[in-house]
Amino acid sequence: MKKSALVVIPLALFCILIGFLFRGLFSDPRTLDSQAKDNPVPHFELPDLMTPATLYTPEVFNGEVTIMNVWGVWCVTCAVELPFLTHLKESEQVRFVGLYFDQDLDPDFGTKTLARVQQEVTTMLGRFGNPYEFNIFDVYRDTSLDLGVTGAPEHFLIDANGVIRMHYVGDINERVWVNKVKPVYDVLVQERNAMLVDSAGGAQ
Amino acid sequence: MKRVLLVLLVLLSANAFSTEDSYQFESAQQRETFLTLTQELRCPMCQNQNIADSDAMIAHDMRRKVYSLVQEGKSEKEVIDYMKARYGDFVHYQPPVTLATLWLWLTPLLFVLLALTFVLLRKKSAVSEDVEEKLAKANAMLEQEK
Repeated sequence: MKKSALVVIPLALFCILIGFLFRGLFSDPRTLDSQAKDNPVPHFELPDLMTPATLYTPEVFNGEVTIMNVWGVWCVTCAVELPFLTHLKESEQVRFVGLYFDQDLDPDFGTKTLARVQQEVTTMLGRFGNPYEFNIFDVYRDTSLDLGVTGAPEHFLIDANGVIRMHYVGDINERVWVNKVKPVYDVLVQERNAMLVDSAGGAQ
Repeated sequence: MKRVLLVLLVLLSANAFSTEDSYQFESAQQRETFLTLTQELRCPMCQNQNIADSDAMIAHDMRRKVYSLVQEGKSEKEVIDYMKARYGDFVHYQPPVTLATLWLWLTPLLFVLLALTFVLLRKKSAVSEDVEEKLAKANAMLEQEK
């Protein structure tokens, strides 16, 4: 009886350890639980990147399902995903809004002028495709901080009520779109259509 | 002596700040709070570095935010909660005690207990066996000598 316990206990502990380490093989230490998910977009009042006189607030997300894409011209992966995002906009009418921030336009030790940033953006979008309806310019990166952004590219799926329903870190490619983003996106679009039918019914 | 110096150098250099941004503080107290916070808060981008040591853009931004929050007179806890609300518990080097993290403290204790019971049990049985065995051997030798 006692002998068998001496074999079984270490064996069980060993199995637990193996299970734990095996899971570790496939876990990504960089994935953090998003705090922004299931919360409304935090309040902001930010200028348009191209026409800074235009100011945006989270109200721009009302009534439509939006993918807000955090990006910058300095971000290589962003350039890689631009053609695919443009394809999505054209083939599936996905609404993309950019949340643009620039590294070098640093409030502490900025070296770039706004005109130069605008020109770089135009060049890059001309080269790789422009999926964006418009770009919100996060000048001091405060909104990015509020959203828990750690870098670029990052994506926020926002429903028609302005609530963030998914926070995806990394680029969206065919595989990610089909397996991860599209299922959530489709649900949000259905919700929005149901909402429209409801309000139309109420209006009659 | 050289070795001691080397060890000292290595230990001391770990505390060096890469914070070259020149932040001005009204009081030494605020400065102290800022330094403690930037050492305790973890950079979400380059993990395993605090935001004082990291040069990532996000660490710059977080330092700036910590600075402005401290300037506003926010307490240490308030700043930590502010960051946790955005980046999760991960952002603070002191994990909260939850059902999932409880094991960080419990596992070492459990191991000590387990090892202790193992050693105690083993010692008891080993001693009694040994004595009997030795007695038997001695008796046998005595028998032979007769």
